Amino acid sequence: MASSFITFKKKILALQEYSLMLKDLFLSIKSINKCKRDAINEMYLVGSQAFLLVLLGGAFVGIILALETGYQLDLFGAKTLVGRTVSLGMVRELGPTITGLLLAARTGAKNASELGAMQISEQIDALRAFGTNPVLKLVMPRTIAAMVMFLPLTAIADMSGILSGMVVTKLSLHVDTSFFWNSAISALLIKDIFVGFTKPILFAFFIATISCFYGFNTRGGTSALGKNTINAVVVSSLTVLVLDFILTKIVWELL
Amino acid sequence: MIRLENVSLAFGDKVILDNTSLSIKKGEIAIILGPSGAGKSSILKIMVGLWQPDAGRVLINNKDISKLSELEMLPLRRKMGIVFQGNALFDSLTVKENVAYFLREHGGIKESLVNEKVSEVLSFVNLEGTEKICIDELSGGMKKRVAIARALSFDPDIIFYDEPTTGLDPINSKSILDLIKRASSRGATSVVVTHILNDAIYIGDTLSVINEGAVVETGTVYEMLRSENKFVKDFFYEVFQDAALLQNKIL
Repeated sequence: MASSFITFKKKILALQEYSLMLKDLFLSIKSINKCKRDAINEMYLVGSQAFLLVLLGGAFVGIILALETGYQLDLFGAKTLVGRTVSLGMVRELGPTITGLLLAARTGAKNASELGAMQISEQIDALRAFGTNPVLKLVMPRTIAAMVMFLPLTAIADMSGILSGMVVTKLSLHVDTSFFWNSAISALLIKDIFVGFTKPILFAFFIATISCFYGFNTRGGTSALGKNTINAVVVSSLTVLVLDFILTKIVWELL
Repeated sequence: MIRLENVSLAFGDKVILDNTSLSIKKGEIAIILGPSGAGKSSILKIMVGLWQPDAGRVLINNKDISKLSELEMLPLRRKMGIVFQGNALFDSLTVKENVAYFLREHGGIKESLVNEKVSEVLSFVNLEGTEKICIDELSGGMKKRVAIARALSFDPDIIFYDEPTTGLDPINSKSILDLIKRASSRGATSVVVTHILNDAIYIGDTLSVINEGAVVETGTVYEMLRSENKFVKDFFYEVFQDAALLQNKIL
């Protein structure tokens, strides 16, 4: 009982520390120009280097979605609606979520391990001691890079999912590509695209800040670094799923 | 210049500093001396403002920094240099990039002046020609020199050294201590935290002996050697023992 109370207390304290880091991050916005170069470097690492991962992830999800829904719709003679299902599924839900989960693992692990190693070797203390704001220097560029790059990456996941879904529908379900395409495009409304591209911005913000927070709070040796990296990936991934649920619920209720 | 007034710090039940007071004058080399776990590095981190005390005041040039926020501390820290125990060099950067890092970060300095300053401080620490070498390729002694060069690069008013010779061989230790003396002669106040008595005696203008989170005694080397305090006597016993040992060897 006592130990679970202490664990609960630690979680509350961690939440408080995370909020304080976010406060620092928002207060640093006025100095955002100072981290332009670091943000561009991070964009390359977070964005360009994740291109293939997102392309393949999106493609396979699109294929699976097309096959699973195609076979079920075929039972009712409605397999021409596969395009609609795949495009709505990819743009509204699976594109942002798969991109979020893949990048929570990739970017989350990168941020937490990099900052954790810097914390252990006192490099973050050195930044602070020499008058550099570590949140502006380390968290801001990573957050900007993630928020900027998650949008095109999500678009890539959406497109590769829809296109690979179209190819597999043609080959396995023998649905003409024009049928697929027409149904896919006509199903998409502005609100679907709005929802599909709002989610990655929020996912990116939380993945970047949560993973940086875990990196900043690494104490001890290499085992703590490993543990915190795992925690960063787990918490970021769960946050993506919970946020996805909340946003989907809000959208269905409001829009 | 630096004054700690009744500073206390605890992590949970563990008391780190207990009502500690200390005063360091401008331009001197002040040594904070004590056994491992006595609270030496904690004092240093409080002086730099990396940690905030639970109670008491920390005055740097008569300005109380104990309650300043991280953002309020930044301009003050730009007048302080610190050499960390593990050097805390940016291992993905070269020697030059490490030394120039804070000059560039603080901005307002032309690149030609940055280059000039880097060359000057690298020459001061006898590391000319190492500008393009990566940190990983340096020996322990060289890394320490780079860390000192980085701390000196923006001509700080105060330089803090955390265990500057720990892990170094006697020759490298001696050269680092000489470097601290030379750096101090440029006008900066130096605060050196160490547990190595010989180092403290070699470079210290004043020594503050600390034990269990409290300053036991402060004074010159001469005053320390004549101290009647039991802990100080025990701590300095090593000096007399070494002298006796050396005498016996020679005889």
